[in-house]
Amino acid sequence: MIVTNRIAIRIALILLVAVILQTSFFSYLSILGATPNVLPVVVVTLGLLGGAVVGAVCGFAAGLLLDSILLQTLGVSSLVLLSVGYLAGRYREGAPIKSRLLPPALIAGFTLLAAAGLAAVELMLGVDAAVSLLVVREIVLQALFAGLLAFPLYPLIRFTLRPALVDYTPSKRGRLIRLGGRRRRRAAHGRRVRSSAPRRVPRRVGRVA
Amino acid sequence: MYRKQVRRRRAILVVLVVLSLILISSQFSEAESGPLHTFQRGVATVLAPVGEVAERALKPVRDLVDWFDETFQARGENEDLNAQVAELRAQVTELQQAAGENEQFEKLLELDRTAPLGGYEKVTARVIGRSPTVWFSTVQIDHGSSAGVEKNDAVVSGEGLVGRITDLTPNTAQVELITDHSNAVSAQVMPNGATGIVEPEVGDPEDLLLDYISSDEPVQENQTLVTAGWSNGQISSAYPPGIPIGRVSSTDAAEPEQEFQRIHVEPFVDLRELGYVQVLTGGEDRPGVPG
Repeated sequence: MIVTNRIAIRIALILLVAVILQTSFFSYLSILGATPNVLPVVVVTLGLLGGAVVGAVCGFAAGLLLDSILLQTLGVSSLVLLSVGYLAGRYREGAPIKSRLLPPALIAGFTLLAAAGLAAVELMLGVDAAVSLLVVREIVLQALFAGLLAFPLYPLIRFTLRPALVDYTPSKRGRLIRLGGRRRRRAAHGRRVRSSAPRRVPRRVGRVA
Repeated sequence: MYRKQVRRRRAILVVLVVLSLILISSQFSEAESGPLHTFQRGVATVLAPVGEVAERALKPVRDLVDWFDETFQARGENEDLNAQVAELRAQVTELQQAAGENEQFEKLLELDRTAPLGGYEKVTARVIGRSPTVWFSTVQIDHGSSAGVEKNDAVVSGEGLVGRITDLTPNTAQVELITDHSNAVSAQVMPNGATGIVEPEVGDPEDLLLDYISSDEPVQENQTLVTAGWSNGQISSAYPPGIPIGRVSSTDAAEPEQEFQRIHVEPFVDLRELGYVQVLTGGEDRPGVPG
């Protein structure tokens, strides 16, 4: 991912919206007795799209914002979310994502890891109440909800950050490709674009994460 | 070049992890007026109006999702309810005999509900946010110190006890629910008056545990619990006396060597569906409870 200032602003807005949606919408839902958590979905998606550094920084920022808004212990959510964001990014750097079902599966898996990690941190910080097996059920259900949420959210975030993605290819029939900075439509079935302009890679300014 | 990237990546990870650990440990040791708490309250204050707007705007969607969830659950509960109807019919006769006793109990409960709270000013507030995990059972309300709300004030809803105020900004406050892992409420079983401590069972918002009730104290199902609100002149319970908490749902048989019973309590308040709550502020001075 090429992180320009504009892309950084977009990522910040995505995280802000995700945190506000989580505290004012998703946290109120009780589906089969569990509450969906959208933050691991967003952080892992950003890690899968942007790599380990982007995932870790976004996880840290999202956790800090969440803990601040909810007046919780600062650093707990940050520690967990930056870890899963980093791991998601490392996975992406080591293996390409070719299947459409892979991101939701990965997001569900990393959410399971995040929920279990949060439980572990809380236990280390001293939960002095009886812990029931329903906690395990909640963790598993949160992972399933995350997998379902990933189906709309992963493509949406990917689309939002498309200028920064070096390997972005839309999956619709009429593909939009960039040639010499101009947008041209190429018909399906691989017909060549009629253009007199020489093909060149658009110049971008920014850091490659 | 690649090695440089790897070093940079690892350095960022280490810095962020260390920063998180510093934040955690600093906040535990820092005073309430410290820079981290101030930063946190600043962020909460700035984003509270945005959260409130989002909460109002998304309520119809939330209600729709809840409707689907409740419909799904209702189908599963139908068979259980049919069995319960048969059982309840048999209990009606027994309950009619106990009607006289219940009448006295209701009068006592009503007295407890109204009389002790007379000295408190009630601040009605809307719930504008809640924590996403089972570990932090907290909600945010849209009134804070500017409305007269103080730390450790009790929070109630129409059904009973919700929790207490644990943190404040001028326009918002954090309510620690009675299901939060760090919460403990001194409670009295009505009408026989046995006193114990109500603690949460993490992961199950519909179950509380009543502890420290001696195994020879008779506690029956469906008995009501209210806050004890005790004070010995030096330290006091944070909650005023007489606020309904819940009803005894089951009691585990105590082992012969066990000193205390293990009693399950179903809270009166549906903590997942909180809309409006009341903060009981002011009232008589409770020694040992910081205001």
